[in-house]
Amino acid sequence: MNAIRRHLAGYLFISPWLAGFAVFTLLPFVASFFLGFCRYNVVTPPVWVGTANYEELLRDPLFWRSLANTLIYAGVAVPLGMAAGVGLALLLNAEIRGMAVYRTVFFLPHIVPVVATSVVFVWILNPDIGLVNSLLRLAGIRGPAWLADPNWAMTSLIFMSLWAVGGSMVIYLAGLKDIPVALYEAAVVDGAGIWARTRHITLPMLSPVIFFNLVMGVIHSFQYFTQAYIMTQGGPQDATLFYALYLFYRAWRYLDMGYASAMAWVLFVLIMLVTAALFRTHKRWVYDAA
Amino acid sequence: MSATPALKMPLRRRLAIHACLLALCVPCLLPLGWMVSTSLKSETEIFPREGQAASAFRPAQLVPQRPVWRNYPEALKTVPFAAYLRNTLMLCAFTVTGAVLSSAVVAYGFARLRFRGREPLFALLLATMALPGQVTMIPTFALFRALGWYGTFLPLIVPSFFGAPFYIFLMRQFFRTVPEELAEAARIDGASEWGIFWRIFLPLSKPALATCALFQFFGAWNDFFGPLLYLNDPSRYTLAYGLQQFLSSYGGKWAALMAGATLFTLPVIVVFFLAQKTFIQGIATTGSKG
Amino acid sequence: MPREVQTVRSGWRRRAAAIAAGVLAAGLALLLAAVCAAPGPRRRAHPDRIPVHFWHMWTADWKAVVERIVAEFNASQTRYEVIPLSVPSASADSKFLLAVAGGAPPDLMAQWNQVIPAWADSGLLMELDQFMTPEEWTRFQAEVYPVALKIGRYKGHLYGLCTAVSIWACYYRPDHFREAGLDPDAFPETLEGLWAIGRTLERRAEDGRLVRMGFLPQWLNMYAPIFGGGFWDEAASRAVVDTPANLRALAFLAECRKALGFNEVVRFESSLNQGQGGNVDWPFISGRYSIVVDGQWRVEQLARNAPDLEYRAAPIPPPTGGKRHAGWSNGNFMIIPKGAAHPEGAWEFAKFWAGWGDPARAAEFCTWGGWLPLWPPVAEAPAYRAFLAKHPAFGTFLDVLPSENIVPSPPVPYQVFLNDQIGRVDDYAMRGTKTPEAALRGGQAELNAELARRRRFGL
Repeated sequence: MNAIRRHLAGYLFISPWLAGFAVFTLLPFVASFFLGFCRYNVVTPPVWVGTANYEELLRDPLFWRSLANTLIYAGVAVPLGMAAGVGLALLLNAEIRGMAVYRTVFFLPHIVPVVATSVVFVWILNPDIGLVNSLLRLAGIRGPAWLADPNWAMTSLIFMSLWAVGGSMVIYLAGLKDIPVALYEAAVVDGAGIWARTRHITLPMLSPVIFFNLVMGVIHSFQYFTQAYIMTQGGPQDATLFYALYLFYRAWRYLDMGYASAMAWVLFVLIMLVTAALFRTHKRWVYDAA
Repeated sequence: MSATPALKMPLRRRLAIHACLLALCVPCLLPLGWMVSTSLKSETEIFPREGQAASAFRPAQLVPQRPVWRNYPEALKTVPFAAYLRNTLMLCAFTVTGAVLSSAVVAYGFARLRFRGREPLFALLLATMALPGQVTMIPTFALFRALGWYGTFLPLIVPSFFGAPFYIFLMRQFFRTVPEELAEAARIDGASEWGIFWRIFLPLSKPALATCALFQFFGAWNDFFGPLLYLNDPSRYTLAYGLQQFLSSYGGKWAALMAGATLFTLPVIVVFFLAQKTFIQGIATTGSKG
Repeated sequence: MPREVQTVRSGWRRRAAAIAAGVLAAGLALLLAAVCAAPGPRRRAHPDRIPVHFWHMWTADWKAVVERIVAEFNASQTRYEVIPLSVPSASADSKFLLAVAGGAPPDLMAQWNQVIPAWADSGLLMELDQFMTPEEWTRFQAEVYPVALKIGRYKGHLYGLCTAVSIWACYYRPDHFREAGLDPDAFPETLEGLWAIGRTLERRAEDGRLVRMGFLPQWLNMYAPIFGGGFWDEAASRAVVDTPANLRALAFLAECRKALGFNEVVRFESSLNQGQGGNVDWPFISGRYSIVVDGQWRVEQLARNAPDLEYRAAPIPPPTGGKRHAGWSNGNFMIIPKGAAHPEGAWEFAKFWAGWGDPARAAEFCTWGGWLPLWPPVAEAPAYRAFLAKHPAFGTFLDVLPSENIVPSPPVPYQVFLNDQIGRVDDYAMRGTKTPEAALRGGQAELNAELARRRRFGL
């Protein structure tokens, strides 16, 4: 009796999402899966072609290039972003005056319109008069052409992604505020110094939020698109052709929606595999009081 | 690194943190600073003349020679600002309420209630974030059209009342840090699941709720494509659309654009500042959470 | 039981909280005021007329021009009312395609992207010649400028009515010429001569950095026709990439870059920082280029933003053995989607704007936008002549417009893909990563692979 009631309660609580999923999400999902097996130019009805799209994918050098670019980006930007986010949040959790102002400032890049941030970035990375190269010139180094150099364009975009770390920082802050002060007090009584407190209290108690940002970081970085679309359009020489960008081109520029759907589902499988692997490590390091 | 009244930080450490933060602040302030400074310049001051560095961003002139305040009323006149503001605020109000409440409810189900199929359903929830939206755009659009919602605000508002995976996942992580004893004690006292959720978990998660509300607010505030896609009456578009109106393929009015962008960003900054002061910072907790 | 919550509030924090609450209340009051003051949904000016929904991608100043033209049309007749909608170009194509796929298309759209073959092939567009009598259609094909016809016509039917054509030519600074001891009236007749003059006008810093570019020929799409090449084989009715003439063009462009230094050029170009919508900070104005190839819309912009700048225009000189008044072109054109509710009204408006009917009227519109017209009577109308008198440099573009050597992108459904491949050929050759031969071969291979793929899919 009790078990049934609990099951029922569970389903009742998640019913809003279940209903929404059934109505708004399920059909488009299934439709896009079906489209991956079709030739579809957005306008005329789709035509079944079996696994032809998937076979083409394997043959397509741009598919592999964009996949490699995206994996490199995810592999570097996610750990960097997490380290920066946690570090920044720890700094911003200190009780010093003006903290509200600091936190707002660090969140600014997240909310300033893209038109302003992209112009500023293009300036910062300007080969001749930009901030970065000017600083390098002081050290006697001739900086590269950053966004215009195929070898450095990816690095430039990763560098840019660190800028927007304010988003995850806010989430960490919320998590930090949740840690009961009593724990720290007890640790101080036991004679723990600042690093010990951080290592044994802060980080473990923050681990659920760190895990959240890790998974979301993976999911988002695999679908990284906007900055490349605005600033480099995949160039120079396909150095910044990300998977989601190539997908967008195939879908809306070349009107090859069937192929794009196949690409999307390949990415989906990839993301789910990585996420599943991450969840398998969940028990080992994520604090769970439930 | 959380201070209590009994533990004041030594001056040296406080100064070190200040120095660190100030240094890191500078890059974050650049976009906003440039935006505001350009908005106060005249068109001729923005653009270089003979022999000068050909860039719309010249650091030497971060402070305008003579502030042209006129740019602001002009920007307000160029687009129907009041109508856009009204639409944007309405969308924000509805979607924030809907998304935060529904996501919290669903998250409680996933976090604290055991029922069959919980893990697979949660995996499904994550999966919905793993498919690039480009390929579900057409079926989703067709779905809304079939429902008869094309040309109304409904496609933008209704789905938020059914939970958003991002917030559900975030709140789930927060809910899982609350120890089971609290819930068990309440159950023994005869409280229903809803009561436990409403009276225990929600109040404990104010920072998380505030974070979700903030993110949803920013999302709705910046959403430009959603209204554009489903509405054809420009008087129903949002501020983000209005901002695009200043840009032009063959040359925009930079000063007016930056004035518009500044006006667009300021309310968001204010909201963030107030929200994080009140919800994320305000209440320090003690008690038996550990 | 709920745990104790110990709030830490001192006197000044309470006041701060009160101030915050006050600010919030003020904000809410402002919101309420905005809600009450804001206008409601747009009301039709002429509810009794047939509505013609017209989507376009113009914003800022250009939007005002569009609305003027729309107002003129609405005032000139009583049957239709054109209702314009400005859709920013980044999302216009997706919105349009989704609307058509969803069965709710506009009646008319103004486009400038490479969409006609792809969309016509997909059955997305209405044939515009169906709105003309056969005699009218014959006259149309005979009298409009060749390039306007090439842009709009596909597989024998008209799918796009050009309201404006874009032509590129050289802009140059007489003051730079004089300073270098050259005669600004004697603009070189050959491309090689132009290149030599460019080197004379070039300026570098001590460390070898380019400070002023004399002349940099770039963009394979533009120069291929000038060298007698191109990407459309008319005889065989197919697209090509790797041809001897194209190789000559690409080799020339690559040689010029190599002479200047590949990396130096890359750094110079990217340091010009032409951001979004930033065409107004054109490096030509600030003297970073002495001679530059650009479109006719710059004339209007220069008049507005740099009225005291001395400049001249001249057609791009061909190389020895090349084609005169040649180059690539694109235009603004009107398309009517299949499923449009009121296509006749759309056609009336499109005709009205382009001047196929009343050229004198349309000449006025062209002067507002600094546009090149669809056919000669518009250019000969008094309003246009007056505009030319005011902006003599514009005449250069008008001179080039009737040339048969001006070609648009090839009329193939995979036009966008082809253009992207040509862009990549350009990219690789211009950085010296690949030799021109290798780059062109690569581009041809990509094209062939795509054609094979299309065949496999039954396209």
